[in-house]
This record gives sequence, structure tokens and C-alpha cells, in this order.
Amino acid sequence: MTAKDSLPRGASSSNRVHLPWARVTMAALGALLVLFIVGPLLRLLWLATPASLGEALRDRELLSSITLTLGTATAATLIGAVLGVPLAFLLARRSFPGRRLVEAIVELPVVVPHPVAGIALLLFLGRNSSLGSGFARLGIEFVSHVPGIIAGMLFVSVPILVSGAREAFRGVDPRLERVARTLGDSPATAFRRVTLPLAGRGILAAAVLAWARGVSEFGAIVILTYNPQVASVLIWDRFTTLGLPAAVPAALLLLAVALGLFAVVRVLQPQERR
Amino acid sequence: MIRLEALTVRVGTFRLEEVSFEVPSGGYGLLIGPSGSGKTTLLETVAGHVPTLGGKIHLHGEDVSAAPPEHRGVGFVYQNYHLFPHLSVRENIRYGLARGATAASAQLERVRELAALLGIEPLLERSVHGLSGGETQRVALARALAPRPSILLLDEPFAAVDPATRHMLRRELRTIHERERVTTLQVTHDFDEALRLGDVVAVLAEGRIAQLGRPDEVFRYPNSAFVARFIGTGTVLRGTVSRQSAGGAPGPFAAWFESGPLRFEVVADREGEAHAVLRPEDLVLSREPIPGSARNRLPAVVDRVERVGPVSYVHLDAGRPLTAAVTTASADRLELATGVQVVVTVKATAIHLV
Repeated sequence: MTAKDSLPRGASSSNRVHLPWARVTMAALGALLVLFIVGPLLRLLWLATPASLGEALRDRELLSSITLTLGTATAATLIGAVLGVPLAFLLARRSFPGRRLVEAIVELPVVVPHPVAGIALLLFLGRNSSLGSGFARLGIEFVSHVPGIIAGMLFVSVPILVSGAREAFRGVDPRLERVARTLGDSPATAFRRVTLPLAGRGILAAAVLAWARGVSEFGAIVILTYNPQVASVLIWDRFTTLGLPAAVPAALLLLAVALGLFAVVRVLQPQERR
Repeated sequence: MIRLEALTVRVGTFRLEEVSFEVPSGGYGLLIGPSGSGKTTLLETVAGHVPTLGGKIHLHGEDVSAAPPEHRGVGFVYQNYHLFPHLSVRENIRYGLARGATAASAQLERVRELAALLGIEPLLERSVHGLSGGETQRVALARALAPRPSILLLDEPFAAVDPATRHMLRRELRTIHERERVTTLQVTHDFDEALRLGDVVAVLAEGRIAQLGRPDEVFRYPNSAFVARFIGTGTVLRGTVSRQSAGGAPGPFAAWFESGPLRFEVVADREGEAHAVLRPEDLVLSREPIPGSARNRLPAVVDRVERVGPVSYVHLDAGRPLTAAVTTASADRLELATGVQVVVTVKATAIHLV
């Protein structure tokens, strides 16, 4: 791709000459939306005084809640990656009966409202369900336990992980793998030496996004596992029981974690799209 | 040696039917056909990327029809080269060497040797991003040749480079082919390339081989109107052949070929519907009729003169469009220009009936 190709279309000089009003209108509309996102976040960050941050960092309950959130999101992402990345490869590379159906099913959690997902998971994994009682015999309980948090996070983050990994694999030209094969690689070696290095960054970016999705989940988790409390449930709990001032320090700390994640994703993504 | 026996392949709606073809050891074979005629698929089948439905692939006498690509000993260069974007030029060339069997020093020596052969030594430390078309092509070629394949498969290797580079690369490729003694099969849609490079050429049409032979033979004696038109042998006219006199001995006979307002004396071996191929170099142009026997003479008007260096193509209207090739010097001497009246003379034996 040449430098010229990579310029957005609107940036060509002819547009600037002929349609200045159109550009101004578009910029103004866009600016409203950008302000709508930045405004509330800045308003919240405005409250980030050393006192409020110090309060948050001394709050043992909040810190253990954030640790729990990060740990469960990591577990959900790892489970999702182990189950989902091979599936993403199949979806990207192989045609098989029912492929489109599987693809649609994997995207389905996007349209399921999160409390609805929580209720569905509760019915499916609860102690009265056959699956739930089976797991219970193995010593794994979902409802009101940590595995319930992980299940909720996994359910909502699967579409992000699988579709991201699938697109990363699709971005690798199969002919590169074919060249590697004629140069002596077995299918597994070609995958390790060519496909994975080229798709890896995209898969990692998808995993980080899925992780962030897990960290921010509330609706499904609050129904499955109210206690122990993940950060989003804790913030909601404090807001409803103690009021806004009590919720702010926790909200600030979670926002800081989310922004940190976001920065990681941005570093990973642009090179992938180059 | 590459020998294909009645190879049948189906990929989606696309198919190759009973393709048989042989490139002798150390030979240079060309596969030519229009876009979508299945050339790349055929190459991928030889490399082992596409499963066969029937037939056999022999490489150097060994049946590899069921072998995976990594056991066939073929080098492959795609039209768009497909260099590994995450590796440097050196790592790309070294890719097929970097495994247990070869010592690191020997690998690097082989990379240096090929880089010298192809004139890409200064590029070795570079990333593959930002290489020119010709440079990319050389790196792809070096990468394919590095593990010393016995077979080299090239998919339109010159399609993505400018004409000057193409000319140079073509010469280099011929030199490398001789030096590395690698049996080569190249796909192209350009018959000029076949004439310059190939020992043997197969013309592919709709998944079948339309004609097989030495490039100059195929060019001179196309076996069908399709081949004649596709490789640009000359003007192709559709018409009917009829015997000049009844009876006579078996074998070729003197006949008339009629196509609309035109009637040619020809030598034929069958009557009825046929196509006549008139090669531009066999049409002689003059201002006055040339005397002599067994010659067809027909009046024509010059439509357009196309000067291509030392040769000029004269497009004529003789009731049907014809194209003659004359030296540019004679075009000047005859003062050929649009609208000039000329006489076209062509020997009966020079008209090729298919």
C-alpha cells in the first residue's frame, strides 16, 4: 500500500476545495459525539484528588474486588482462547457444513441483553440443572461462587475473542502457508512459522478486548454471583446503599484500570491494520 | 521431469479435465491460456496444494500424486510473490533451509550465492516492505531456489513488473534455469514469453489442453481457431473448403477456401467448414500484381499502418479484415498509408487450415 492509498478519502485536496461546508458540518457533528464521550469521563476524573485516590487505595474491600475482577477476567479469557482460537482458525480457513450457523451462534451473545444472559446461565448452570449438579459433584459451584463470575464473563466476551481471532487468521493469505509448505514445512510447522506470527498480534488484541469486556461486565454477573463482588457489582452496591460519593473512588480506580487496558489495545491494534 | 497423466481436478465450479503434459528433465515448459483457464490451479495441483480427482503426477519418474507438498521437492513462485511479511529478505530466502539437516554456515553460504546470482546482496538485511516489483520477484525466486528444488513452478512471474524489468528478468531466469538445472514449469498468458523461454508449451482452454508442442511449432501451426486467435498467429477466417477438381489421389488436394467475398486457392486434406489462418509475415504487399503461379492475389485498401520498430503491421480491408507484416523500410518504400490501394499476394501453401 502506498502512502497515498492510506490517506482517508476525505483528505484529498479536491474535497477540501469543493466541499468545505460539508466538511465543517461533519466535523461539528462528530465533535458533539466526541464531547459526549470525553465529557463524562473528564467530569469523573476531575474528582480524582489525592485524597479520593488514597481513600480508594486504602479500601481493602475495593482492592480485593478489583483483584478478583482481573483474575476472573483473565481466567475467562484463557478459557475462551483455548476453546475459541482453534474454532476461529476453522471458521477462517475451512468450509464445513454448518459453518455459517456456528459463526452466527458465536456472535449471538452480542444481541442477548446481559441480565437475560445471566438468567439463562443461572437456569443452565444452577444447582437444580443437570449440568450444575454434575459440576457440583466435582466441587465446582457457579451460583454465588467465583466460577459463576467466570461463566458470565466468558459468555459475553466470546464474540469479541472468536470474531477477532477469526479475522486475524483471515488476514493471513493462505498462499503464504502454501509457499511455506513447498519450502518443506509440515502443516503444523507452517502454522507455527507463518500463520501464528502473522495472526498473533490480531489474536492478542482480540484477547485483550475480550478481557476488557470481562472486566466491565455487570448484568450477567450480578444475577449469577452477587457475592463475592466484582468491581462493577461493588460500585453498584455502594451507589445504591451508600450513595454517589461512596461509589466515586471505586469508579475512579476501575476507570484507571480500563484506560490502562485500552492503551494496551491501541498499541496492539494499529500495526495489525497497517 | 514433470509428467502429468490424465490429471482431473475440481475446485468449486472450476475444473481441469484429463490434462496430460510432460516437461523433460532440465527443460522449460510453459503453460499458456486465457485468465480463468486453470493455469494457477494446475500449478498448485503439481505442487500438491490441490487434491486430484483422477490421473497421476510424476516428478522425476516418481509418482507423487498422493505426497504432501513438503515431500515433492518443488519451488513455487506466485504471481504476487507472497514474501513472508514478518521476515527480512535474508530470512525469507533462508526459510526453506532453516531446519535440522543444513548447518547454519552452509545455509548462509547458499543465501549469499543466490543473492549474488540475482544481484540482491544489498537487500539482504532489509525488510520486505518497500522492495520494488523486480526486487520482490528476485527475492521470491531466490527463496524458491534456496533448498535446491528439482522442480520450479512459476505462476506468471513477470506479470507484476514493468516491461523493462520483465525483459531483464526473463533473460536472468533463462540463465538461472541453465545454471541450477531445475526443471521449470511456468504459467503465462503471454505467448511472446513462451516463444522466448519455453522448450515446450501447452495451451490451456477451459480446463483442457488445446495444443501441445514446441512454441515455434504451435505458433506456426495452431491446431484450432481458438489457439490461432489466442496466441495471435494471424488473421483467422471462417469459411468452407471445396475440391477444385473431382476425384484425384488420396492425400492433400488443391481446393478453394471461400469466406464471404474472399476466395483463396489452398491445399487441403478435407472439405467442408474450416478456419483459415493467415500469418501476417506470409502476406506480401505490392502496388501492382506480382506474376507467378499458385498464388492468391486480392485487392485491398490499407486501413491503418502500425509501426513497431523495424516491423510494421498493415491492417487491411479486403472485404474481410486482414493483417500483413512488412519491414518498416518496405512500408516506407511502398508509401503505405490509410486509404492506399494495394495487392495482397499469398501462396496457397502458406494458408494454414484448421
